[in-house]
Amino acid sequence: MSQDQGKTEVKPMKIDDILQRDVWDVDLEPHITVDSSKCEKCPTKPCLYLCPAGCYILAGEKVVFSYEGCVECGTCRVICPMNAITWHYPKSGRGIMYRFT
Amino acid sequence: MYLNYLHWVEKSIYIYKKLIPPCGVYVLDVKNKWDVIIVGAGPAGSAAGYMLAKKGFNVLILERGRQPGYKELFGGRVYAEPLREIYGNDLEKAPIHRWVKREKLSFVDGSKLVSIEYQSDTSTSFTTYLPQLARWMADKAGEAGALLVEEVTVDRIIYKDGKVIGVGSGSDEVYADLVIDAEGVNRLLLEGLGLVVKLQPEQVAVGAKETIKLGEDKINERFGLNKEEGMAWLLMGGITDYIPGGAFIYTNKDSVSIGLVLHLGHAIKEVKDHISQMVEKLRLHPQLRNLWIDGDIMEYGGHLTPEAGPAMMPKKLALNGFLITGDAGGLLLNVGYTIRGVDFAAYTGYLAAKAAIEAHDKGGFTEQNLKAYESMLKNSFVYKDLTRLTGMQDLYNDPGMFKALPKLAVGTAANVFEIDLETPGVWNSFNKARRNAGLGLLSLAWKGYRLMKKM
Repeated sequence: MSQDQGKTEVKPMKIDDILQRDVWDVDLEPHITVDSSKCEKCPTKPCLYLCPAGCYILAGEKVVFSYEGCVECGTCRVICPMNAITWHYPKSGRGIMYRFT
Repeated sequence: MYLNYLHWVEKSIYIYKKLIPPCGVYVLDVKNKWDVIIVGAGPAGSAAGYMLAKKGFNVLILERGRQPGYKELFGGRVYAEPLREIYGNDLEKAPIHRWVKREKLSFVDGSKLVSIEYQSDTSTSFTTYLPQLARWMADKAGEAGALLVEEVTVDRIIYKDGKVIGVGSGSDEVYADLVIDAEGVNRLLLEGLGLVVKLQPEQVAVGAKETIKLGEDKINERFGLNKEEGMAWLLMGGITDYIPGGAFIYTNKDSVSIGLVLHLGHAIKEVKDHISQMVEKLRLHPQLRNLWIDGDIMEYGGHLTPEAGPAMMPKKLALNGFLITGDAGGLLLNVGYTIRGVDFAAYTGYLAAKAAIEAHDKGGFTEQNLKAYESMLKNSFVYKDLTRLTGMQDLYNDPGMFKALPKLAVGTAANVFEIDLETPGVWNSFNKARRNAGLGLLSLAWKGYRLMKKM
């Protein structure tokens, strides 16, 4: 036990915890919609890895999507192999509010 | 509904109070016909707005964020000279965090890394938070007389009878003789106009970034910096799981920005870990973590960055009543060790304003007159730098560049410095590492030659 004293415990933080540092004013209407009929047929699902905000997660076989924590980068729209994503910016000042980026 | 008159009056009074412009004309000048409308109060839009308002044009800048900069994210460094050309000595008053006087470039393989470091007592670039710089640039435009209206997401460019006549947001429309598109990398408006098709993965990279609060003294001590001196550090190889792109570390006043950039064309096929966890691996890298491990993550974010240069530029940058600037035009330079986005964007906004002023003097904002913008760009450092990007694309597509070369550099150093009994010669160390990295001598010579030539 004693030899562990003074060691900083270093663990990667989960995306949900990292995102606690950010500030949003979430739009009431989703600014992104996913066509689930197309999405279900996707063999590779790169959105699971490349959406920086982790908005796309796997629940069983299906991709589940939430727009609330979106950082509005547009990556999902560019990489979606099925063209299943309709993507707009949130309306009137809503969405992410960066301060130190 | 957001552009109705009441809202405008209210907003104008707010802006008037906030910016304390030289006179109160805005409050009386609420209208829906302008000389120039600029979409986006980023570096490109605000630079253009500043130049045009200074010349006496009636300028309206529409920004979708609640404040300029709220939607913006960059690596961390801005090259100063293009901004100095626009703002002169006023630039000294900009929210500059540190002047970069140390440059570091590292090859990473697993837990080992090899670095090259450049130290200087002079500097041509500074670190900052882009939201702060964008706020400052928008205020400069406001002081010059432009009206900035926030919280308006422009969703279409109005094109009629062969020319652009205004912009729309929901049910509202505003009109102008000239519209300047500074919408950023996700160029939805240009797609709507049919000037570009949807971005392809090969044309962009995704960046993800953490800002870590550390304190000014700790940064100075740990990075070996004097007060107000900064470091820019780029890393490649294992730090991105060998996906083309790289990682970056920038020192701000009392925080450190760390993050990585992944070329999407490769990342969609090669990514193995969630990108946020790749940033966490960078934060916790055994050779790096002690620099900031006791710091707090202040903010995290992601953004796309143009990668393809001329290959993703719209066919035209000037139409009747319309100009395209900054990221929307693909006007960003990334050659691995040097990334220039903010200063390029600002400079293209500046050139667009110059071209608009010339066109106005010639009789109007016709495509013919505005075409001067394209030739100004072609004659400037912007276009000359960008044409080199075409070559960089080939390098990205050479899988050896981002894997074999870092492995070779780190492997050689490991063989030279980690000694068992016999002291290895450099040439033997190099050859052993070269074979481990799977590189033939000839192919390596060829790669080296191409690398030097293209860069």
